[in-house]
Formats: sequence, C-alpha cells, structure tokens
Amino acid sequence: MAGYLLRRLAQVAVVVALVATIAFVLIHLAEGDPFSDTLENPNVTEEIRAQLRATYGLDRPLPEQFARYVASVFRGDFGWSFSRQRPVIDVLRDALPNTLLLMSIALAVSFALGIALAIAQAGRPNSLTDRIISGISLFFFSVPEFWLATMVIALLPYRYPGIFPIGGIVDPTTHADLSRGGQLLDLAKHTILPAATLTLLFSAVVARYQRAALLDVLPADYVRTARAKGVSERSIVRRHALRNALLPVITLFGLAFPALLTGAVFIEKVFGWPGMGLVIVSSIDSRDYALLMAAIIIGSVLVAIGSLLADLLYRVADPRIRDDR
Amino acid sequence: MVIAVGGDPDGLFPPVLTTTTGRAVTEQIYDHLADLGSDLNTVGDAGFSPRLAKSWRWSADSLSIAFTLDPSARWHDGTPVRASDVAFTYGLYRDSATASPTAPLIENIDSVTAPDSLTAVFWFAKRSPIEFYEATVPMLILPEHLLKGVKGQALRTSDIARKPMGSGRFRFVSWTPGSSIELTADSGNYHSRPRIDRLIWTIAPDPKTVFTRLVGGEADVLEQVPSGDLPQLAAHPELKPVLLPGLDYNFVTFNLRDPGNPTRPHPLFADRSLRQALTMAVDRRRVVQSAYDSLAAVALGPTVRAYPTTDTTLQQIPYSLDNARRVLDSLGWRVSGSDSVRRRNGRPLEFTLSVPGVSKSRMNMAVIIQDQLRQAGVKMNIDRREIASFVDLENKRTFDAVFHGWHVEASPGGIRQTWGTGGAKAGGSNHGSYVNAAFDAAADSGLSAMDLPTRRAHFKRAYQMIIDDAPAIWMAEPKTMMAINRRIRTPALRPDAWWSTIGEWWIPSTERIARDRAGPPR
Repeated sequence: MAGYLLRRLAQVAVVVALVATIAFVLIHLAEGDPFSDTLENPNVTEEIRAQLRATYGLDRPLPEQFARYVASVFRGDFGWSFSRQRPVIDVLRDALPNTLLLMSIALAVSFALGIALAIAQAGRPNSLTDRIISGISLFFFSVPEFWLATMVIALLPYRYPGIFPIGGIVDPTTHADLSRGGQLLDLAKHTILPAATLTLLFSAVVARYQRAALLDVLPADYVRTARAKGVSERSIVRRHALRNALLPVITLFGLAFPALLTGAVFIEKVFGWPGMGLVIVSSIDSRDYALLMAAIIIGSVLVAIGSLLADLLYRVADPRIRDDR
Repeated sequence: MVIAVGGDPDGLFPPVLTTTTGRAVTEQIYDHLADLGSDLNTVGDAGFSPRLAKSWRWSADSLSIAFTLDPSARWHDGTPVRASDVAFTYGLYRDSATASPTAPLIENIDSVTAPDSLTAVFWFAKRSPIEFYEATVPMLILPEHLLKGVKGQALRTSDIARKPMGSGRFRFVSWTPGSSIELTADSGNYHSRPRIDRLIWTIAPDPKTVFTRLVGGEADVLEQVPSGDLPQLAAHPELKPVLLPGLDYNFVTFNLRDPGNPTRPHPLFADRSLRQALTMAVDRRRVVQSAYDSLAAVALGPTVRAYPTTDTTLQQIPYSLDNARRVLDSLGWRVSGSDSVRRRNGRPLEFTLSVPGVSKSRMNMAVIIQDQLRQAGVKMNIDRREIASFVDLENKRTFDAVFHGWHVEASPGGIRQTWGTGGAKAGGSNHGSYVNAAFDAAADSGLSAMDLPTRRAHFKRAYQMIIDDAPAIWMAEPKTMMAINRRIRTPALRPDAWWSTIGEWWIPSTERIARDRAGPPR
C-alpha cells in the first residue's frame, strides 16, 4: 500500500509540473497582458504600461520569467497579483476559506442527500415516490446554475429581506459589532442560500447516478440469495447493494473534489460570494498571470488528489480492485 | 450609508488608481488642495472651493501659485499636515518608478517648493488656463512621514496602499476583498465632522445582485442603474433616480493606416468621402436609443456635453441612407453580385469591426450598425474580443475598425492624446491614426485660451473639423443614472465625481432606520 501511494504521489507531482509548465506558456502566449484592462483611460499610455512591464519583469524572455517563477514558488512566494495589487498568497488566503466553507457544506449535504434519495427510489423502483423524485432530480439536473441562483435570489431574499440576505458572506453593516454567536448566525444566514442552491444541483446528479447503480446491483445473485434468506428489503439495499453500487458515486466524488477549493463560478457571482471561482475568472479576464498560475496549480493538485482519493476509495469499496496484494 | 458596487477597487493608493470605486473611496480618506465646482470650470480658480489649502495667491506672471494650508489639518494619526507633504506628493506622482496614470495630467507643473511649513508653491513650466486645476484636482495629498523612502513596487506593497491614512473627513476601517470596504467619520476633522457616521461599499460582481441589494433595502446608493432595470426602479418610490451628465463617449474608429503595413494608407478608410458615406448610413439616434433607452445621448464628437467648452450646435453628418448610397455610387462602389454587397474593381466593400465583448451596449449597437450598413451595401463583420485581446489589437493597430470609448477628465486636455497628431505615434492613444495639423492647432488654441468664450470658439472649430473628417462614427454619450434612497439628503452632485460631497450628505433623525444607527458606540 505504501509503495502504491508513493508511486501515485510521484505521478501527482509530475502531472502538476507538466500542467504548470504548459499553462505558463499558454497564458503568456495569449494576446494582451495584465495592464490591458485600463482600456478607457487615455492617461494610461503605452509608455506607462511599458514601465509597469519592466517593473514586474514581464519584458524579460519567457524562459527567464518561467525560471524566476518556479524559483519563487519553491520559496513559497506565488508572486504579485497585478489586478488586486497585493501578494497572490494574500488573495488566496482570503478566498480559499470562503470557498472551502461553501463547497464542503454543499458537497457533504449533496452526497448524503443524493444517496438517501437514490436509496428511497431504488427500494421501490417505478413507484410514485420514485417517479416524483426522478422528475424533480431531472429538473435540477437540467437547469443552468446561474438561472437557479437568480431565481432563488428573486424569490426569497427579495420577498423576505429580514430572513434571507441578498448575497455576500456577512452583513458588512453589523457583522463586526455582533457577538461571536451573532457572527456565526450571520455567516450561517448568508451561507444557506448559495449552499442550498449548490446542494439542489449536486444532489440531483448524485441521486441519478446512485439510483442507476443500485438498480444495476439489485438483480444480482447475492441480493437474490439475501432475499431468499429472509433479509429485509431495507437491509438488502443498505447493507448489501449500496456498497457495491458506490463506485460511480466515488468517481463523482473524485471529479467534484477539486471544486472544494476552486469553487463554483456562477453561484459565487450571483450570490456575491467572495471565493476562488470569482478569483479565477477575474484573473483570466485581467491576465493576472501570477494569480491565474496559482489557481491552476491548486486546481491541478486537487484534480490529481481527487483522482487518487477516488482510487483509494474504490479499493475500500471493492476488495477486488486491490492490485498490490 | 451603504453604496452597492460591482467590484473591488484596484487598490487604495491614489497615484496608481484607475477604477471609479478606488477614486470614490480614497477621495473620502485623502484631500485635494481645493475642490472643483459642480460646473466643472477648469479655467483659473473660479468655482473652486478650499479644502486642504485655506487660501492661495497667484504670482504676478501667473507662473506660480502659493497655497496656504489649513493649520488645523491633521493626518488621521494626529501628525500635522505640512507643505512638505504637498511637495513630497508631487514628487511621488511624477516619479517614473511610480508609473502613475495621473503623471501626464501634471506635466506642466515644473516643481513644488515648501518655503515654510504651511506654504506650498507650485511652479509651472508655461502659462496655462488650467494651472489651478492641474495643481489641485489630479493629486490627493499623501503623508510624507509614512511613505518617505518607499519607491516603485514597494509603494504598491506598502501597508498604506491597503490601509490608507489621510487627512480627509472619513477614516479607513477595513477592506474585505470581494465583500466590503468600511470608512468611519473622522470626528475631529479640521473640515468639520461629516454628517454620515459610516460609509460602507458593499461589493457584488453580478449587476442583478447589486440592483437587488438596492431595491431590497440592503443598500442606499447605486452608482449606475442599468437601463433594463429602470421600470423596476420606478416601482420603488423610496428610491430617488438621479441623472448626471456623463464623462464618457464611445465611437467606431476607422483605422486610417493599412493594418498590414502602417506606412501605407488604409485601402478603404483613407478615403474621407467613404468615411462620411458610412457615417451617413448609420441612424445613430435609433442605434443609441436601442442600446441605452433614455440613458445616453447621441455623441456630438470627441467631447462630452458636460464640458463648458462644448458647443452643442456643432453640425453633424446627417443620417440619410439615400445620400450614403449616392456617395458610394459616385465613389465607384456599386452593387454587382447577388449578395447585395458593393464592389469596386472586384473588391467587396467589406470590413471588420472589433468590439470589446465586456461592453453589452457596444455589442448591441454593433449588431444594429451591421444591419444598417448592410442596407447601404456595406458588409461589416463583427469581431467580438475579450478585453486584453482587444487592447492588444488596438495597440498593434492591426484592425479595420474598433468600437472604442473614452472616459474623460474634467478638463478637455486629453484630446491631444486621443485625437491629436502626437497620439497617432506608436504607443499613443490615437489608435485610428487621425492626423490633421489644423485640428491640432485649433485644439491647442482652445486649451491655451484664457477665457471661456474664446476656448469655446476654438474648440468648436476643432470639433467641427474632426466631425467633417469623420475619422470615427460618434455614437453614444452615456449618462449616469444613479439611485439614492430618499431618506438620504444630498447637495448638488458633481458630474465627474458624484461622491465629492458625501461629507455633506445627511439623514434626518426621524427617517433613520436601524442600520443607520448600527456600528460601534460613538
């Protein structure tokens, strides 16, 4: 097991290094630079832009820029965010916890709810309950997230302003003056709508995958044997079928894992949630090289770790996959 | 008071700011020497009101102005504001290592000296009618004792760049990126305590969310109401719409040089008659109304109506599809193929208009222009670009036509860079390479004239010349439609900086809501 882990971690390192190198080259090959977004201001002349490029070393040859970047990353310095005028590490320090809070709640509830719904459906396939849940989950599976988020804001906070805040992570007018408990309540009030919106979207996906996997497993011989032994239907689904039907959901978990830190762009935008999704999109728009590179590195590390975690969970869920016995 | 905005400022260090939010916040924390009046007069000192400078004295030859600072002015840490701070600020803005976009606006200031602790003397390189404006408006005075010895990149990373400390009527409290910025009243301010206790900018990147915060009561002020939301605004009697003349204009610039070889003229747009015909073929009134509803006027030329120097009787090239067709026929561009596109010597009358995709209004206008030109037998392709790529295209001048816009300063001096021969050089802001010595001379005369009627007359001549030359189709002059909660009382708002009087805004005690009383004990 230790050997397997080491091999996989080495693969992660290689993948991240490759992604970072390719991304660095592609980002710098794209038209424009970090000082292009001063478009409508005639005072920002090309002379000033050239001066800024020189200040930040962007006038150096690309290989030299890359070498400097790699060296600074190894020193723990992710560079300077041009668009936000502060060190990249500070930008990440602000945005990452917000994203982690929102996404961990949304993903945990989504997987729990999605699996529970699938169990309810698979226990009585084609029943009225199954059809209603299928219809609802198909609806949430199909709607674009920005539409759902906009509808949620239009229907709830606008009509019930005292109960549901209109976006943001806290109430800036009162938060600092609240007690510790009050601050937590304020944070919870602001988290509930974006987290609920994400949960509706994710849990629909999980429920559909999990239901299909359970329905594949339920006709299997070992389930028939359990039934013949008189095991209750509830116990059959929960103790026998579910573990064997978890593989597609584990794959989903692996795919969703990077979102824990890379966020959900549309939800963050509509709810004004200051997380990584918005940081990434704005860094692309503003050609904020250092910030974008940091986001890509974080994203690639998480994709690789998500894939590794999924593989490890496969081995837990299905002993036949343990290849290093 | 809560102000809803769509994004974070690009820092809080005045010399390097380019965003409106950055200016609005820092101009509460720092002070100008004097404030521009709401009539935007930039000639002499008429209309200006004292701020950090209590009074001023012109030299006999008008080549220097001595400002006497208010002796009671203090930085928020209690240190007195001194004339050496003013001289230091000038040096910092002009230092090439600072790379300040404000530097071109103060080029005429030769030096600033501090003969005593309360007198700052500005010395000018040449006489200019806007010397006073140059000395007072572009720069916010910075504390030397906190910034001395810090240069270039270190300025941007310094503590004060994110936690500003000035002499203004509000003190900085906090900035949570992506969420909010908070200022609090400076109760002992030399200019008297502001009447609003706290200012909070609440940030949300989605325009719909920003608007919903206003109508939902979470915010009191919205700087720009989108035209699509006007009907909903009307349904909220507690919100007061405030229409301000804008300081922006947009236009379709023709590249007068060949994009493939800038030493040669453009194969289409070097022809003045063709440019005029294209202008005639566009019904600008209809295009602007479609894109902005009532929130923009048709642009007059390379200027805005808010300038006292702008004469609104300028003769425009009138819309006439028939005349446009006749001119194109006379130039040899005739419809010959089945595609209804005009051709001359086998070459179709076709070009590409590049548009920054972030501007929804310009994209909307481009589509209507495309249709109107099609009716005249002109094929216009639309090239939607993301902003960095758009700027790159403009700087390299490898375009046929671009849909550009300028945000102008309170003084019309920027016209030299944007439409003058000097700006046509590589790296300049005159991207279409319009060159006309007579226009340059008229604009220079306007900028150097010492009285308003003469300035207006020279500018009228310059603007008429460029309108007739049609290096661009002048499209829209957007206005600013603000919305402010009615419980907030405001004096007249300045078109270029609505926030300039926030210190005087107030809420009657009988109309205060719980949020107005929130905050730390005072």
